[in-house]
Amino acid sequence: MKIFVTDGTVTAFFTAVFDAYREKNCVITSDTRVQLSFDSEVIHVVGEREKNKRVQNAVYKCDRQAVDDIVLALRSGDPSKEQTAFEYLKKLLEIKSPISKMLSLPQVIDFNETVRRVTLEAHRLKGLLRFMESREGVLYAPYSPDNDITDLLMPHFAARYNSERFVIHDVKRKIAGMYDGHEWITGYAGEAEIYLSEYEQAFKNLWKKYYNSVNIKERPHIKQMKGYMPVRYWKFLPEKNGK
Amino acid sequence: MIDEEKLEILVEGAKYDVSCSSSGSRRTNVKGGIGNGAVSGICHSFTPDGRCISLLKILMSNDCIYDCEYCPNKRSADVRRARLTPDEVCELVINFYKRNYIEGLFLSSAVFDSPDKTMELLYETVLKLRKVYNFNGYIHLKGIPHADSAIVMKAARLADRMSYNIELPSEQSLKLLAPQKTKQSLLLPMKGLNGAIEYDKQNKVRRGKVLPAGQTTQMIIGASPESDGQILRLTEALYNNMKLKRVYYSSYVPVVKSNKLPTVGAGLLREHRLYQADWLIRFYGFNVSEICEEGENLSPEYDPKCAWALRNMHLFPVEINTAPLEMLLRVPGIGAKSAYRITETRRFCALDFDNLAKMRIVLKRAKHFITCKGKFYGSDSYTQVKCSLMLAAGGANEQLSMFSETSTAVSALTGEL
Repeated sequence: MKIFVTDGTVTAFFTAVFDAYREKNCVITSDTRVQLSFDSEVIHVVGEREKNKRVQNAVYKCDRQAVDDIVLALRSGDPSKEQTAFEYLKKLLEIKSPISKMLSLPQVIDFNETVRRVTLEAHRLKGLLRFMESREGVLYAPYSPDNDITDLLMPHFAARYNSERFVIHDVKRKIAGMYDGHEWITGYAGEAEIYLSEYEQAFKNLWKKYYNSVNIKERPHIKQMKGYMPVRYWKFLPEKNGK
Repeated sequence: MIDEEKLEILVEGAKYDVSCSSSGSRRTNVKGGIGNGAVSGICHSFTPDGRCISLLKILMSNDCIYDCEYCPNKRSADVRRARLTPDEVCELVINFYKRNYIEGLFLSSAVFDSPDKTMELLYETVLKLRKVYNFNGYIHLKGIPHADSAIVMKAARLADRMSYNIELPSEQSLKLLAPQKTKQSLLLPMKGLNGAIEYDKQNKVRRGKVLPAGQTTQMIIGASPESDGQILRLTEALYNNMKLKRVYYSSYVPVVKSNKLPTVGAGLLREHRLYQADWLIRFYGFNVSEICEEGENLSPEYDPKCAWALRNMHLFPVEINTAPLEMLLRVPGIGAKSAYRITETRRFCALDFDNLAKMRIVLKRAKHFITCKGKFYGSDSYTQVKCSLMLAAGGANEQLSMFSETSTAVSALTGEL
């Protein structure tokens, strides 16, 4: 069995699809810790512009929405995301018309679920991201999401804080999105050192006070709270992490 | 900056307002401004009671001249009082918003001095927030009954949503428990605002629309003797005549001691059933008369859709692959999303039970009411269906003991539900 290992980029994925499409039994992955079987043959794929373009065009001809959806799915933190997208893409090229609503196909169900997880987390973090103000007035928000969603959050916050400078820092992937008051970029960012503004702690305390006061103690429903706001996000929430 | 104690007092007074949604507004940011509206609404945190925090819910003042029985801030109550200035509110909102703690402001107030003065201060605060602080996020403003309609209209041009709380589901109860508020003082301004919203809609006003996210209201359940049927009829009338976006229910919690009020709370189940019925009216094409008779309450054992289906067993089972959307929506256990998924998917192939399960459509209740490709996996006997629906609802099924209520014991003996 051939295993196509990509570097995780979209170009490399479509290039791998180009190479793997005619193979009978193969896997595409970006996970370097993949378990090898006795007969596996590892092929490292380097992104090629021409192959990438050809596959994207073929997909676009079948379904205008599909390329965007695949790019979203590739942001997932699930190690089998490339394979899920590949299966979906094969089915799409076989049927040659939009398949996203054919929920009787297992490939479509898996793929839609992967996309849903990414967009759901992006939506959730639009609410659960917390900024802190530095001494220079720059807003800084560290977080560690399951999926690579920094690029999806940046336009939202850039529209919202259009005259502020802010940084959204994915500490797990070491990626940061930066906005300077005019435009935003994303790039590598290892660790950040931040000096907080003098009011920061006071507003944090006010927020914690607010959080505790607005709760109605007579009607507890912890399960619902955790369902909407999973515990793994609490680390960066001032009202929950006790800092 | 306001101190923590003041914040606590004014939030404690506001927290019983249920509404915290921030959806429905597409307000855009301006250059140099802060904030915008997200049409889907965004929740920023969740409290241990399971409710979301989307807006900064706060009172301008809790120093009230009214004496409503159920209210913890009533004139005769011995509580700490506090009042905020417009600048204090604005500073708090901007700083919370910048840190992404909140989606906007829900500003309400006790009636101090006079209704006009109160409304004027609320208006002044919102005006300052919009014009001086350049805030374009979501603002939900509480309407003050008996306030001058001109100020209300000016405030409505700046806010995204306004709400006049009905508080109690009938005029008699209002008279008894909130004597200073009248039905007219609540419904007239609601009607006026609805007129303004409709005018904007008809004239296709783009910028500076009145209340882009519409109006809502809230009532307390279980503090007065009205039945669920009455409450739902009022709800339907409000949706039809006032074009409200939401009617919120708040199950009564005995925080204030009074001989006019019951000593026990109404419980969360009743509130839950009312919301289920409310959804059936808004999204599932049900009429109130189908859900509940006027003097009756909703059944606690199973949800109102199950109850309706059990009364109308002659309409079932329906074939998943051919039934119209309106009928799919009426199958217990199939929600709006599932019904949509079914209608989309069956255009490509005939569905069987395996497909439904893989599409994550819950069959626990639905299987008694549907066929797939002619196959039926439910139960034929009416009592068995009823029984399994009750079990699916996870109601209060208890092991019989010496101290069980007589009705439970009788039902256990006779086997009748």
